[in-house]
Amino acid sequence: MNIALDPKIVWHASPWLLAVVFFFVAGGYLSLGTQVMIWILFALSLDLVLGYAGIVTLGHAAYFGFGAYAAGILSIRLTGDPLIGLVAATALTAALGFATGILILHTTGVTFLMLTLAILSMLYEYANRANDLTGGDNGLQGMQLDPLLGQFEFTLFGETAYLYTLAVLFLCFLVSWRLVHSPFGRSLDGIRQNPRRMRAIGTPVWWRLVAIYTLSAAMAGSAGALSAYATRFVGLSVLSLFTSGIVAVMLILGGARRIYGAFLGALIYIVVQDFSAKVSPYLWEFVVGGLLIAVVLFLEGGLMSLFDAPVAAVKRRLRGEARDP
Amino acid sequence: MKRILSLLVAAALCAPASAALAETFKIGFIASYTGVFATWGPQFQHAIEAYQAIHGKSVKGPKGETIDVVLVVRDAASAGPDKAKQLAEELVLREKVNMIAGLELSPHAMAMADISKQAKIPVVIMNAATSSITRMSPYFVRTSMAVPQFVHPMGKYMVDHGVKTAYMIVSDYAPGHDVETYFGKAYEAAGGKFVAKVRSPLNNVDFSSYVEKVLQASPRPDALYIFMPAGTPSINLVKEYGARGLKAAGIKLFGSGETQQIYLKNFTDDVLGTITSNHYTEWNTNPENVQLRTQLKKMYGDKEETDIASVGAWDGIKLIYQALAALGAKADGLKYVEFMASGKTIDSPRGRFMIDPKERDIVQDINIREVRKVNGQLTNVDIAKVPMVRDPWKADHPMK
Amino acid sequence: MISYALTILLDGVSFGMVLFIISVGLTITMGLMRVVNLAHGSFAMAGGYIAAMMTQRGIDYHLAVAIATVAAGALGAICEVLFYRPLYRKGDLAQVLLTIGLVFVSIAAVTAVFGAFPYPVIMPSYLQQLVDIGFRTYPAYRLFVLGVGGATALILWIVIEHSLFGARLRAAVDNPRMARGVGMNVNLLFLITFVVGCGLAGLGGAIGAGMLSLEPTYALKYIVLFLVVVIVGGEGSFKGSFVAAMALGIIDTMGRYFFHDIASYMLYAAVFVLLLWRPKGLLPPKSVA
Repeated sequence: MNIALDPKIVWHASPWLLAVVFFFVAGGYLSLGTQVMIWILFALSLDLVLGYAGIVTLGHAAYFGFGAYAAGILSIRLTGDPLIGLVAATALTAALGFATGILILHTTGVTFLMLTLAILSMLYEYANRANDLTGGDNGLQGMQLDPLLGQFEFTLFGETAYLYTLAVLFLCFLVSWRLVHSPFGRSLDGIRQNPRRMRAIGTPVWWRLVAIYTLSAAMAGSAGALSAYATRFVGLSVLSLFTSGIVAVMLILGGARRIYGAFLGALIYIVVQDFSAKVSPYLWEFVVGGLLIAVVLFLEGGLMSLFDAPVAAVKRRLRGEARDP
Repeated sequence: MKRILSLLVAAALCAPASAALAETFKIGFIASYTGVFATWGPQFQHAIEAYQAIHGKSVKGPKGETIDVVLVVRDAASAGPDKAKQLAEELVLREKVNMIAGLELSPHAMAMADISKQAKIPVVIMNAATSSITRMSPYFVRTSMAVPQFVHPMGKYMVDHGVKTAYMIVSDYAPGHDVETYFGKAYEAAGGKFVAKVRSPLNNVDFSSYVEKVLQASPRPDALYIFMPAGTPSINLVKEYGARGLKAAGIKLFGSGETQQIYLKNFTDDVLGTITSNHYTEWNTNPENVQLRTQLKKMYGDKEETDIASVGAWDGIKLIYQALAALGAKADGLKYVEFMASGKTIDSPRGRFMIDPKERDIVQDINIREVRKVNGQLTNVDIAKVPMVRDPWKADHPMK
Repeated sequence: MISYALTILLDGVSFGMVLFIISVGLTITMGLMRVVNLAHGSFAMAGGYIAAMMTQRGIDYHLAVAIATVAAGALGAICEVLFYRPLYRKGDLAQVLLTIGLVFVSIAAVTAVFGAFPYPVIMPSYLQQLVDIGFRTYPAYRLFVLGVGGATALILWIVIEHSLFGARLRAAVDNPRMARGVGMNVNLLFLITFVVGCGLAGLGGAIGAGMLSLEPTYALKYIVLFLVVVIVGGEGSFKGSFVAAMALGIIDTMGRYFFHDIASYMLYAAVFVLLLWRPKGLLPPKSVA
């Protein structure tokens, strides 16, 4: 049996191989690729809370934005080292996630939704007013980054940013994959479907929710930090309701609770937006809105689910072949 | 026979088209076509297209070569500066533009600083009005205005015309703070006294409480001076000014860009008598303004109206054309900047202007005008002019 | 001083009336149909724009407002059948996302048709005047809003408390399964309620255009305000939404008068604290009224 051709491995390795190939052929589109990966990471973090744990939040941009500003401000005031900055920003965001999580996770439904919106709005207002710290609506100016590992500079062309983002994304992907396929991950599934029953069998539901919320916030914070490094700039939009909405849209378009849904959704959204913004200004809002409605009404599992039938057929064919003597 | 034919075709394809090959000069154009600031993109673009309709889409370079001037347009979507930065990167890396232009919002213009220095390309700022912007990169040239520049002449004007006390309301963002400082200083230096200086949140569109406080203020001010983003905030503030009885109580209204012609039709008649200071009075009779307006109406219909975006873009593209004619399409970025910031006085639809060689910022006449009804329509009518005003911020913050 | 305080009260309550008229439809549909409808602002926006378009063509203001109300309701009927009906059993997430999609579509449609410029509603001259109310002169427009809001609240209260329809509505909110069990046509009930809710939103959008300005991003900008009224008042609670709207209107107005620096900040912080303390809202319903 040739392991290299095992379809499962091919399937899983393909996005990463594509990403590496893209690095060499992208030309001026490299920074777009970095953007796609940052949003994939952000959407992945949302998948953990929204898709798997069933926590319906519209305020996840709070953690993305906090991470971005943390990384940016640290690079100006403390150290320009991008590794230390990333770790610090992630840790700080995790702390924020933990603190807000324990405050609000005992509520559900629209109340919870409003609370997440309130947190997001308060952070936004604060960033808007704290001009000396964040630059206010002019954005965070003057970020200076040291070369990564002392060697690789962050240039306009964006090679370092791309590879750095790719590495972090891969790491977080591995963590997420292991997590959702572990008993902990399965318990989240149960919590999403029937929290009462989970409590009845003795699962510490609230603590599990806090744990996944914190982890997800940390991941969103990493995505934010990477976004600050990629453009050497942080604007207020990272903390906007719109950003929160967009990442949810990406996740649903691609398919929640599938890990790879985040990949597909972010890629498609950014590509479509890039393309239709050139065709007509209002077209993409219309298209995205329409797609979203269509996906919710007709395509429960998002666009990834379009692959379900063909993949299942391929699997059957391969298994059938393997069984032949 | 076939071989000869194919050889001939190959030869024809290889032969140079003509002695003077057409070169291309790409301008990356960043402005908002959607969102809250959606009027700026089209206004800029129409003025540029009008200029090109009159002067052609190409320029003859110094060696007689034809330079096609191509606008590569990107929608900044009224979004934050990070979007503008991303678009600029895209334009430089993917489209390989030779210059960036447009930029109605100060944060967007500021976001161009890094890229202009890294890619070494000039940036022609056609609106963004925060004073410090031109200092952020040696590649920046501004053809629009600076906020302190057009508000500070009003200080002396108001005192000279009997306004001894004033109540000031500005929008709480960088330009608003500049107004507070520079209009404030000018008014007080001329002998005026402020009853209060208030900032209203940037997104606020409900001014009932603010205007109410003006009415309740003691002593009652002679005038209300406002600085609001043009559009809904200005319209609503003036509406409340009338609705709450300030006009009836004799409190006069002063401002700057709030009564731009494109918005005047949305105001009630309460706006009559409002006096503003601005660098461009839309219905002025300067020959170049007449040319611009006539061309615009021909291309886009009778309802087309000019505004400060139109004049910023028109003068911007004019400078670019002049620079290309003198330096060709392949000159060094700083050389273009040097040419455009020549210090020469140039005719414009606004009247005239000059780009200061050291600051690369605009120096121009500031008009004092009053809102009146002409032929049944509300419009701004010039009543005074302050010649060749420099941005006072620059004098206060000397270059190091 | 008293005059000042009364002015703030009048300003706050008139703003609250607009919030109430728009949000009451949302609270009833959320309490009744248990659908998270983030697109409610779009119906208010639609009503506003339709009224504005008609007044700009010279149609009488009152007629324009009436037509806008009916049109918003009709729009609601179409959306209920096409988009909301499939959502009833799909859960919070699907509802949030589909309604966000509707918001995007509505913003794009309005931008395409009306442009991004502010779009005013032309009001009749008697509404643009100042009226002498004893201690000061006050804008007639705000008194008009107060009147319409009060009348609407009264009519709704009578219908909900004292009519058969209202009784059925309250029953279906309290216990939908039981209501179906006794033979009520719950689907029809939902449809009628949704249509009325959207119509009211349109009415609020039309007469409130002087306070909540019409622009394409209206649907996204103000939905947070409407949701706050609904959540703070208690989903499905008519009284709650009235009290919450008044409170929000007054607090917001006071914030603008006295603390305009931190006004919006204060609002979110207040909502945050309030929801942690009372997750079900101030006056959560055992029933709709």
